Amino acid sequence: MPQKKSASEGKVDFGRCYAELEQIIDWFDAGEVDLDEGLKKFERGLDLAQKCRQRLSEVEVRVNELKLKFGETV
Amino acid sequence: MRNYSVTEFVGFLNAALNEAVFPDGVAIEGEVAEYRVSQGKWIWFLLKDNSSVLPCFGTVWKLRQPLEDGLQVRIYGQPKVHERSGKFSVVVDRVEPVGEGALKRAYELLRKTLEREGLFDPVRKRLLPKFPRRIGLVASRESAAYSDFLRILGNRWSDTEVNSVHVQVQGKDAVDDIVSALSFFSAHPELADVLVLTRGGGSLEDLQAFNSEEVARAVFSSKVPVVVGVGHERDETLVDFVADVRASTPSNAAEIVVPDRIEVGAAVESLRHRLVGRMEQTVGDRLTDMDRSVRVMERGIMSAVSSFRHRQRDLADAFVLFADRVASSSRDLSRLEAGLLTAPDALISRLTERLSSGSRLLESLNPKSVLRRGYAIVRHQGRPLRDATSVAVGGRVDIELHRGQVGARVEDISK
Repeated sequence: MPQKKSASEGKVDFGRCYAELEQIIDWFDAGEVDLDEGLKKFERGLDLAQKCRQRLSEVEVRVNELKLKFGETV
Repeated sequence: MRNYSVTEFVGFLNAALNEAVFPDGVAIEGEVAEYRVSQGKWIWFLLKDNSSVLPCFGTVWKLRQPLEDGLQVRIYGQPKVHERSGKFSVVVDRVEPVGEGALKRAYELLRKTLEREGLFDPVRKRLLPKFPRRIGLVASRESAAYSDFLRILGNRWSDTEVNSVHVQVQGKDAVDDIVSALSFFSAHPELADVLVLTRGGGSLEDLQAFNSEEVARAVFSSKVPVVVGVGHERDETLVDFVADVRASTPSNAAEIVVPDRIEVGAAVESLRHRLVGRMEQTVGDRLTDMDRSVRVMERGIMSAVSSFRHRQRDLADAFVLFADRVASSSRDLSRLEAGLLTAPDALISRLTERLSSGSRLLESLNPKSVLRRGYAIVRHQGRPLRDATSVAVGGRVDIELHRGQVGARVEDISK
């Protein structure tokens, strides 16, 4: 398995995870569920929920001070 | 004394006024009178006080502040004698309302103009992202608004990055600072999913930048949705009306741009719960399906087996019948065989006997043989006579005997 090098690459995007989790629930709600696919989505959903929870308990807000000069950052 | 041509003199006068006397231009305060706009381009008005008037000239594209007669203003510009008309006026670059009353009036005028143009139109207000990854913050780093916003933001949410641009929020640089910060984010949309423009409350004068047409238009044309949070709830600025979402305070702006982590945590938990429920239900449904299938198969097999048993029994019965038939047939056959062997003799003797008994019967029925025993047949007019009344006395009768016939007449009749 290839190792992920950059930290940002492995960084979880909360909004995307949350949206995907909602989609999975919608998929289950939509009706006839294939067992194999359902199982896959279920595992993915649990993983996403875990990531979301982790993300919620992590880190501080990062604040970058940008300096503008002639309309550009310096 | 030096001699001038008219052109030279007017040129000298203007040069002297602008370069020597007022190199930085002039700022003059007074009340606007006889305000008019010609051809949609040129603005004319008089600036006056109790004893003097001063003609002023400007262009529509430079003087964005709407004016009306009676408004107290400070004008910035250059005095000039016009070459063609010889008339003197101040060419105005900028107009500022002066005093609380004028500010309010100017605010009202600008608000109406912008409203007419559709800058406050609710239809154009954009939705904010639910979970912004990057927030563009336009505020003064020294302000309480700045620290309040960040504090509340951090309390509520962590998964975001704030790209902050420090601006003056009041004073002469405020408008330019804010406008360039907003256009900077429009040019770099990758730095912000949502913008927050915020400052604390203040007097109408303090909030002037947030009531300026330039900032209002910059907010209007921002490519990134803008949340404006100025001062306390009672402070209402033009920029508030233009913003995609208006926050009442800097803290409220933070509450608007990010969700609360506790609430979202609960939401995630409930989603997880639902997911588990759906999966359990899916598995349960599948088990029920399987049970049903198994039952259907069982029933199928049972009915196949029982129908096989029936067939088997039918077959056995049929065989027994067949065997019976075979047996009885062979019995018939041997009987037939035996019959065939004895038949000719018996048949002949039976036939002979039947023949002779038949002829005996026939013989006994013959009337002639009765006559032989002494009986006679009496006929009258050719028909056998059965009733005495059928014949009259003296009538002729014929009597047939065993041998021969006798003709006779009737002597008497008794009934």
